[in-house]
Amino acid sequence: MLADTWHLFHKYMIITLRMPLWSLFTLIQPLIWLIIFAQLFGHFVQADRYMDFMVPGILIMTVLFGSSWSGVSLLREISAGTVDKMLASPVSRVAIVLSRVLHSAVQVIAQAFIILVVAWLMGATISMNPIHVLLGMLLIFLLGIGFAALSNGFAITLQREEPLVMIGNLMTLPLMFFSSALVPERFMPDWIELISLINPITYAVEGVRAVLATPVDLTVFARGLGIMALFAAVTLAWAVTAFKSLRD
Amino acid sequence: MSEYAIEIEGLTKIYPPRLKAVDGLDLTVREGEIMALLGPNGAGKSSTIRILSTLSGFDSGRALVGGIDVDRDPEGVRHTIGVVAQKTGVDYFLTGRENMTLQGHLYRMKKADIRTRIEELARHFELEASLDQPVSTYSGGMTRKLDIATALIHRPRILFLDEPTLGLDIRSRKGLWSLIEDLNRNHGLTILLTTHYLEEADKLAHRVAIINNGRIRIVGSPEELKNSIHGDSVVVLFEEAGAQERDFAVLLKKQGIARETVFDGNHLHLYVEDGTASVPQIMAAAAAAGVQVQSLSLARPSLDDVFLKYTGSSMLDGGEEPQEKWWHQWAGKGGGNWKKWAAKWQESESTEETWQGNEWVDAQGRPKGNWGDDPQWQGNEWVDAEGRPRSDWSAAENKKRRGRSS
Repeated sequence: MLADTWHLFHKYMIITLRMPLWSLFTLIQPLIWLIIFAQLFGHFVQADRYMDFMVPGILIMTVLFGSSWSGVSLLREISAGTVDKMLASPVSRVAIVLSRVLHSAVQVIAQAFIILVVAWLMGATISMNPIHVLLGMLLIFLLGIGFAALSNGFAITLQREEPLVMIGNLMTLPLMFFSSALVPERFMPDWIELISLINPITYAVEGVRAVLATPVDLTVFARGLGIMALFAAVTLAWAVTAFKSLRD
Repeated sequence: MSEYAIEIEGLTKIYPPRLKAVDGLDLTVREGEIMALLGPNGAGKSSTIRILSTLSGFDSGRALVGGIDVDRDPEGVRHTIGVVAQKTGVDYFLTGRENMTLQGHLYRMKKADIRTRIEELARHFELEASLDQPVSTYSGGMTRKLDIATALIHRPRILFLDEPTLGLDIRSRKGLWSLIEDLNRNHGLTILLTTHYLEEADKLAHRVAIINNGRIRIVGSPEELKNSIHGDSVVVLFEEAGAQERDFAVLLKKQGIARETVFDGNHLHLYVEDGTASVPQIMAAAAAAGVQVQSLSLARPSLDDVFLKYTGSSMLDGGEEPQEKWWHQWAGKGGGNWKKWAAKWQESESTEETWQGNEWVDAQGRPKGNWGDDPQWQGNEWVDAEGRPRSDWSAAENKKRRGRSS
């Protein structure tokens, strides 16, 4: 299974590296948000360092935008016949899902890293301590796995591109705003704060914030990491089950 | 080892609630032969191939591939077979070599073995020059060749080809035929292919199995099948096939001019002892009966005549490719529109056609030609634009129609 995953992952990486422009395109949106939000809300919120507060949120946003494409490309592979070709071979079914999700997560990490560097160049105070960055990226990686798995799972259950893209869009913004990604909790109405408590994004954002912003808080990070690990495990299990039951 | 590479008994595949894609299909393919499943789109060819290649489950019956039970040991079957689906499974962004290497890895082959096998296959399929080019630069024929080469990487004994030359130009098609023939003759590969091209089945296959509505109607070598229709085939075209024309057909048979008569829309197919001698007789009889003949043509029986004889409809009708074929195949699980269409299908009664005496009759014993007169079908959505009743459509057309209404 691991060897199968590696070979398929390798294939997806080759394809991605042959089309670097595509990866850059998905970066545009978070970059725009980074600039607009920093300029716009920076004055609005009156927090002295809104930029520092917001950067982890933008990183998470990059993950959501990036990983929601994974399901779309699965549908493309199904319609192109590539998935059938894999299924007719003895390759492990788990490896097919796993390789896709891993590929998406790695892609998202690279994008998040670029955003991080841009934000740093724009003057955000970010702890560039390699260990902190690494921990932050680990959390982002798990979140990326979780959302890529969700996207693949939805792709298999919905089986059409249009509703999948719609769900992706529909989920992304509310998930962002029902969390403390862009707005600190103290500005939230109670009901939004309540929702934010069950939103995994909240814990991801706070976890990332806890290592990248000063002061570093490893307890909050550990909580975020734990929740993300659980989230990734559950969604992955769901996606694999959905994929296995795909045989008509 | 059994002398059969593939044994299928009573295979049935039902898309819930009631659409039978494969309906009690029986077929045996001998070790080392090329067998063609010939039938219109939607006849159950692809479903059969998908079941045999473990991509699809089935509801009842038994299928052995290479002596291995498809249901009990799909893993074992996967190692034995190579599959080339209708949709090309190769990755456009990878080179030919990368595609083949990946496939080799998926079959857990050793690196060195993969390398030698790629050289072998590239030589056989004349792909050496473009092996390191991305597939997106390949022509349709080359892509198809690469697809087949990829499917052979692990040296399977049995190869499934689903419409191998669909959409190719004549030159690539002929080139592919000789390559497929060579695989069979010089490498002993058993090949089961599906096609709706009469010529392909005729030229390539040792034996042809005619499939319609999920069932095998007859199996035999192309020659045997064509010889089963004695003499020549005469096709008479009428303005419309009414009662008068039908009486005329009965008359021809009674007078011994035609041995068999089959209506296909406004075409009347006559099977006669000697074509040239019978044409004047037919024209004279038409004049005597006061029937207007629009045109008349004479030919040696083709596989289409065989198809017509055993299924009651011509393959040349409704040869269009249904849209979203993959979607139907994948729609069995997890929502989608499939259930809706299947329910629609259920509303319309399934019609069993049987050959009775000299006419095709339906389950109620009405002759086929009269089905359209039944008010039950008229003004109903299953009557098509030309007013032909549903029973005249091929299954492919039904599928197409269902697809269109989505």
